[in-house]
Amino acid sequence: MQVSKRFCLKIVSALSILLFLLIWYLTTDVLKTVPPTSLPSPIKVCQTFVEKLHNTAPDGATLGVHILASLQVSLTGFTLGCVIGIPLGIFMAWFHRFDLLTKPVFDFLRTIPPIAFIPIMIILLGIGVLAKASIVFLSAFIPCVINTYTGIKATKPVHIWVAQTFGASRMRTLWKVAVPTALPFIFTGMKVSLNAAWTSLLAAEMLGSSKGLGFMIQMGRLLIRADVVVVGMITIGFIGFILSAILDYLETTFVKGGA
Amino acid sequence: MKKRIDPKRMESIVLGIISFLSLLILWQTAIWITGTTRFPSPTTVIVRFFRALVEPIGPYTVIGHVAWSFSRVFVGYSLAALLGITLGLTMGWFPYVRAAFKPLFDLLRPIAPLAWIPLAILWMGIEEKSKYFLIFVASFVPFTLNAYAGSIKADRQLIGAAKMLGAKNNQLFFKIVVPSSVPQIFSGAQVALSNAWMTMLAAEMIRSSYGIGWVIIAGQQVNDMAQMIASMIAIGIVGFLLATGMRLLERRFLVWNNQGI
Repeated sequence: MQVSKRFCLKIVSALSILLFLLIWYLTTDVLKTVPPTSLPSPIKVCQTFVEKLHNTAPDGATLGVHILASLQVSLTGFTLGCVIGIPLGIFMAWFHRFDLLTKPVFDFLRTIPPIAFIPIMIILLGIGVLAKASIVFLSAFIPCVINTYTGIKATKPVHIWVAQTFGASRMRTLWKVAVPTALPFIFTGMKVSLNAAWTSLLAAEMLGSSKGLGFMIQMGRLLIRADVVVVGMITIGFIGFILSAILDYLETTFVKGGA
Repeated sequence: MKKRIDPKRMESIVLGIISFLSLLILWQTAIWITGTTRFPSPTTVIVRFFRALVEPIGPYTVIGHVAWSFSRVFVGYSLAALLGITLGLTMGWFPYVRAAFKPLFDLLRPIAPLAWIPLAILWMGIEEKSKYFLIFVASFVPFTLNAYAGSIKADRQLIGAAKMLGAKNNQLFFKIVVPSSVPQIFSGAQVALSNAWMTMLAAEMIRSSYGIGWVIIAGQQVNDMAQMIASMIAIGIVGFLLATGMRLLERRFLVWNNQGI
């Protein structure tokens, strides 16, 4: 009984994905209710994907070049955001005066979506790597700070008292008690900021760039090549998925005990 | 009870004001020292901000643009709330619904909402419809995910007790699963709101002819830094008001939930 029900559920799952692909195929290739300029058929998408691997038309670079360009910028911005954001979050949460001094400005800054900074960065820094990396940095930086801050603040007072009773200095308490407590929160923050970094990079590339996946799908739209757009979207989704899987793996290896 | 200001509170207010003032002074002196004309001084920006409230930029004043942006967010967001919560809750409780929709949802979920912009424009043109669609996509995912997580985490003991008292499956769903996932749904609603607000900006910056995102791009096209920063301040204020409103709603409706702050 139990086995047969689980089997039924598997069948339903498989059917639903098959049905989705079938409907997509039927509406585009067979019945032609949707023009290929707005939605290409799944077969056409596969063809374009293979072609895009070596062909530079229509946007001047192969898929691999676009992927590398996007990865390079987003990972640079993300790493910088973590390297600066996590220590800042720790300092803000641990030193009371510093917290009172920086929190209002930070709270104001984080109400503005990083995407709103794109046009200013383009004017100030041009459309090169620097402008995009600073947008990515900004969007990765904010979740890192917020989550680290929450994590440090979540340290149980009892644990701090124990450390103090045993004569630990304030820095030692921070390093041995508060930071390990905050580690799961920090990882959550890194996951959120990786996601944000990847998203804002797309916006930056769509608004002003000459390569990268965001640029590719934007060109696909301008040239009415819907197949290129869909290939780009699938690649974006796939890379986003891989990146967060890597972070998940790192979390399970580094965070012991759990929250 | 005598009204006295708590010295700790006093300290936090004073330090907050100091931090803002020192930021502004730093900005102003940096402008004076370098004598640059590329970047506006804080006074220019503040004057510009208040002027934009009454003088129209393009077709409307800033208030009008914000109202347009807000209407877009409202339509997409409400639709996403309706469908996302329904899908998430049913996916969590009914195994067949989960089997049918979870794989599809997981397949489409990793695609960033902004990646839908070109396709949405190809499908629905540059009018309002494509923006509603994008905002819908951006807020649908967090709504569904959180409603799903909430309904899966429904207390097994409560469900067992209700079953023992003879509750039917539908009753279990409406009387236990739905109410117990409300806190989770609220936290999803907050994520969804900030996602929706951000996607609206991106969509308006890429293609539109009014709305607060357009004001920034219009500033970029004529190289008017003051207008861009002034509209960013407006965006910040509205974003802050939206988030605060959401938190107030949560506090009002979830008085019973002592997990939240």
